[in-house]
Amino acid sequence: MAATIEDLAQAVFDGDSRKAKKLSQKLLDAGEAPLDIINQGLMGGMSEVGVQFKAGTMFVPDVMAAAEAMSAGVELVKPLIAHEDIQSLGTVYMCTVKADLHDIGKNLVIMMLEGAGFNVINGGVDVAPEKIVEDVKELHPDIIGMSALLTTTMLHMKDTIELLKEEGLRDQVKVIIGGAPVSQDFADEIAADGYSPDAVSAADLAKSLVGAA
Amino acid sequence: MRTNLLANTGVKMNVFSEDQIRELIFAAEEAMWLTGTEYHDEESLEILRKAGCTIDGIIAHIPPHITERALQTCQKHIVLCNSRTGERELFLEGGNAYFGSGPCTPFTRNPYTEERHRATRQSVCWATKVLDALPNIDYAMSLGIVQDVPLLLSDRHEFEQMVLNTDKPIITVCNDQYGQEDNIKMAEVIAGGEEELRNHPFICLYAEPISPGVHCREAAQKMVYGARKMLPTIYTPCIMAGGTAPATLAGVMVQGLCESLSGLVLGQCAREGSPFIMGGVYTVLDMGSTIFSYGAPELDLMLAGLADVAHYLKVPMFGTAGCTDTCVIDEQAGVEAALSMAMTNMSGANLNHDTGYAEYGTTSNLDLVVIADEVLGMARRITAGIEVNAKTLDLEEIEDEGPGGRFEPAEIPEEPDDSVFEPKNSRVDYQTRLVERGAREIWESKGGKTLKQVANEKVRDIIENHECEPLEPALAAKIRDMVENAVGHMPGE
Repeated sequence: MAATIEDLAQAVFDGDSRKAKKLSQKLLDAGEAPLDIINQGLMGGMSEVGVQFKAGTMFVPDVMAAAEAMSAGVELVKPLIAHEDIQSLGTVYMCTVKADLHDIGKNLVIMMLEGAGFNVINGGVDVAPEKIVEDVKELHPDIIGMSALLTTTMLHMKDTIELLKEEGLRDQVKVIIGGAPVSQDFADEIAADGYSPDAVSAADLAKSLVGAA
Repeated sequence: MRTNLLANTGVKMNVFSEDQIRELIFAAEEAMWLTGTEYHDEESLEILRKAGCTIDGIIAHIPPHITERALQTCQKHIVLCNSRTGERELFLEGGNAYFGSGPCTPFTRNPYTEERHRATRQSVCWATKVLDALPNIDYAMSLGIVQDVPLLLSDRHEFEQMVLNTDKPIITVCNDQYGQEDNIKMAEVIAGGEEELRNHPFICLYAEPISPGVHCREAAQKMVYGARKMLPTIYTPCIMAGGTAPATLAGVMVQGLCESLSGLVLGQCAREGSPFIMGGVYTVLDMGSTIFSYGAPELDLMLAGLADVAHYLKVPMFGTAGCTDTCVIDEQAGVEAALSMAMTNMSGANLNHDTGYAEYGTTSNLDLVVIADEVLGMARRITAGIEVNAKTLDLEEIEDEGPGGRFEPAEIPEEPDDSVFEPKNSRVDYQTRLVERGAREIWESKGGKTLKQVANEKVRDIIENHECEPLEPALAAKIRDMVENAVGHMPGE
């Protein structure tokens, strides 16, 4: 029986990398449009994973397996598509702020953003405001996501936003923040564009900021 | 006549056999040597290099003989004292299990309004009063980061509020080495000097590596400074199975031991013989919500296992109990807190923190602290065990009363006093303070309240009426002055 786009979406949903790769190849061989394979098959399966995770019926390892399956297919199909045709919701620059080395929360957010269809740049940990500004100038992300675990280091979020203002970049990029001591009130106080309490809502927040929600 | 009878004088649980404990320790030594850990502090790397560790960039590979020597040299007999009298109160050794609150929650829940808000000087004052008043709470941690002051000075304000409102020992968690230095100075003023504080420590220091395997600058410097001061220092990683450590629980144990013991090695290389407390919050990354779970049964299990390892090593152990993942104090909070306290008490971990943590460690709740105090009374009654001897077998009374006879009720002390359990008096049963055992009519006549309501009333009563042993006014004034003149340091600068 011929492979269908739905089968491919199911393979991603099941976190079956081998099958996702195999079906992607079969669909290409059968003349299916590469863009449809990515958008409807690979990302289609992934978006259902996001829905199920939010509902509490799928768990982090399921999301990771599905993301791997999606990547396995994308890797195969991507070279066949012109760069500008690849749909991405936008680019998010993610980092943990200066003097803070905690990154598990940030990494979970990255996983969710990638699963949601964002192109994510991982700026790493202990990233000073000056470095963030430099990276914004060079990489032109649509959104900056900053993470902090400490009440002392979260002050660097404010410094970063102020430096973005000074450099005239604040209007070009949205800023979202998260981490245990961070709250919506704090986000309002430092004039960030958004706060989210966990990785799933961070992806939703990013989507709403690029008008894709 | 009985001869050489083997008896249990209390109740205790074990997770590991000695063989398994040795496997865990050797695996940790292997990871410390082969994989190594990161130290983001030049002085610490230099200390370790001089001691014979291999330094590769910021990674230190610690040879097993250095770890084993550190385990030999660290001071294991650690006593925490009363801040007013210097009296020796907590002996952190053997199966002695002490309980208290936790530090550093960004938020707290107001006991009057139920509002969840950022912790303040007042909230830490209230929390400490509650900790001071409760008989089963043995020491204080702040139950909140004071945030109505400049944030870089929150640790000094927390210390001030704690030391003003309790004479029980204090575990002080500082933002950085500067905060720790200031708080030690204040403690020295209160104790009457550096040597007095060292001989009668009423404070215990705290540093936390970042899992997996990263000693940030603040943690490393606090460890080194505490060791040089010869003050007891807790080195306690927070580890998540499947997040910052392997998903296997044994793998988590190894990762955690590797982090704690690499802190021990740093402390011992900085000052041999310094008092060290190993610890941890080992739990799971919840794969549905992605939270660091404070209510998971795996937390109770792994920390009981860690207590076995600590007992084997004869190193005091910092445990975790009396906390919950739920956002309000409800049935879930009761279940999670009670299970953890009962298990921790039976495991004999020495200094157990985080009582009063709700919302997976982000929000402190005083109602939970009061409920925990009651649960601890029960848990301690359980570990007191059942004494078996000619007197307690009471054949005489059984014979006197005979079938259908009437037995005397247990003696009830006028004031419930947990000291009766040590040394044990098996004729005295645990006297409840909050838990209701009355018949329906009695319960209804008292207003038909839930445990949560009764606990909240108790919290308010303590806040309004409890008075702790005051700190001498002259000392309090000095502390005020030191807090006011403290200088904060921006992290990373």
